[in-house]
Amino acid sequence: MKTNKFFFLFFLITAFVLNQNIFAQSDREKVTSFDSQFKQYENAIKNAASLDECNIIGENIEKLRVEFADSKTLIEKSLQINYDEEFLKIERALEVRKGDFTQIVQLTTEVGSLKDKVSELSQQNEGLISQIKQLNIRTAKDAATIASLTRLVSQLRSNIEQRDELVRGIVDSLLQEFVKTPGTLNDAEKQAIYKRVDNGNLFYNIERTISDNVQFMKVTQMKAEDLSKMKEQYKDFNKVWRQVGPKLAEVYLNRRDKAAQVANIDAMFTDWNIRINDEMWGQVNKLFRDYKLALLPFKGGEQFVNSVTSFVDDEIKNYGVKSKTESENTFYAFTDSVYFKTVQPVWVPVLIENNLMTEANKDSVEKRIATWKEKVAPASKMNWVYIVSGVVIIALFIAYFMKGKKKQVTFDEKKEDQA
Amino acid sequence: MRFQKYSSALLLLIISACSSLTLKPADYSWPIENVLKVDNKGFVEEQRYSFTLKVKALFYEEFKDSTNFSGKEIRLIRDKVGFIYITGKEFKNVYVFAVEENGMDLENKILITETGLSSPMFNQKSPNIELLDNSNKYLLNNEGIVR
Repeated sequence: MKTNKFFFLFFLITAFVLNQNIFAQSDREKVTSFDSQFKQYENAIKNAASLDECNIIGENIEKLRVEFADSKTLIEKSLQINYDEEFLKIERALEVRKGDFTQIVQLTTEVGSLKDKVSELSQQNEGLISQIKQLNIRTAKDAATIASLTRLVSQLRSNIEQRDELVRGIVDSLLQEFVKTPGTLNDAEKQAIYKRVDNGNLFYNIERTISDNVQFMKVTQMKAEDLSKMKEQYKDFNKVWRQVGPKLAEVYLNRRDKAAQVANIDAMFTDWNIRINDEMWGQVNKLFRDYKLALLPFKGGEQFVNSVTSFVDDEIKNYGVKSKTESENTFYAFTDSVYFKTVQPVWVPVLIENNLMTEANKDSVEKRIATWKEKVAPASKMNWVYIVSGVVIIALFIAYFMKGKKKQVTFDEKKEDQA
Repeated sequence: MRFQKYSSALLLLIISACSSLTLKPADYSWPIENVLKVDNKGFVEEQRYSFTLKVKALFYEEFKDSTNFSGKEIRLIRDKVGFIYITGKEFKNVYVFAVEENGMDLENKILITETGLSSPMFNQKSPNIELLDNSNKYLLNNEGIVR
């Protein structure tokens, strides 16, 4: 019993001494500890990667406020701050950061639903492309087949457009994220990007968008306006990708597979552009081929000028060698049926707009055609006959009126004399 | 009688001319101590109250060695009256200084322990200064240990 009492007393004394030691804390240490914890939470708010993290920081801030409430005056004097105002400020900063994540959660949900729509459209597109291919293979196309083809192509075009827009939305939201955090990204920001890229299945969807557009070009016959529209889509999408791509490459610097995917998408964009350009020039080539005008193949403005020049030069050289009718037929097919009918009004503006040819190229082509015209179909002598005849008719007309006027004057003079 | 009157008036005039203006009360106390590192020239620089101080002589006074000061830390705190208390690790004393023009004058040298302080810390316990050294606690003023 005595021993128990002794131990109890010993425990009490020890607790008292320890208690004294616990309270024997330097005020400076207290202030430093408060200051460093406060700064730590300020940084934590900036680097927070999720709403949950923000909530934990909020709890810690509250604990800090309670823990140091007794030292409020000391802290205020030492750090020359207003304790309550500092907490209000940090809480406001936390609320702002929470707001970012609320938006991100909303966007993630939106991206999630977009992802589903994108997958659905991608599947539909695959089916449509396959159906169009099958219908194209049929050699004899009846009215029903053609109608079916037209309907499928139109549906595919609309699907691709919708899907492009959805994927573009995902990329845009990612771009906003990069804009919000310019400069080098910290680990938390990188994690957020990884999450969003994975959530939106971004890389796959971009690749799919490009390949579907390329497929669409392959299975359908595109008009100038279709290609022009696709080129616009390419430009818009590529512009955004050029902003996002390098950032993603930086984020994925240490993940070889993803870095390779970023590089692959770069290459796919380049390929898409080349294919659109080739398709445009291919369509122009085809217009000449359809009239059996054997121009050298061309894939650019200069090449087009050279090809036309070479063709026209040959025609001029062969004028007199070939029959006159043959030369004239070629000339009229080239000018009236192809160049001035379709190439100049429909394709040239699109090509110039997309920097595939220049005004100077167009002038060169048209000058060459004018030279050819001088040789093959010069302004005929008949034209001069018409001009001279016209001049003579006008002269006679004027003379007739002049004569009539003179007669009237004479008649008036006679009347005056009689009076 | 007239002479007495004149002389007392003159005395009053002289006394009033000599009296200086005094502003009271004042509180010079720092809320917390400052821990400053001595540079290789023997100076410490205080950021908040913005002053520099050469403490080479203090090290000579404490350790009888005026060469071994570079990189060492000293702790300073000012009490309500305006005295500055300085000590540091391995110091046996706390030095109490009064601020004077272009320097500080030693007011008191308070012996704390013959073995030297192992981790001294000052707290402001106005009007006194508290010195903590591990579990030891001392209450000081410019005249010495209060408790």
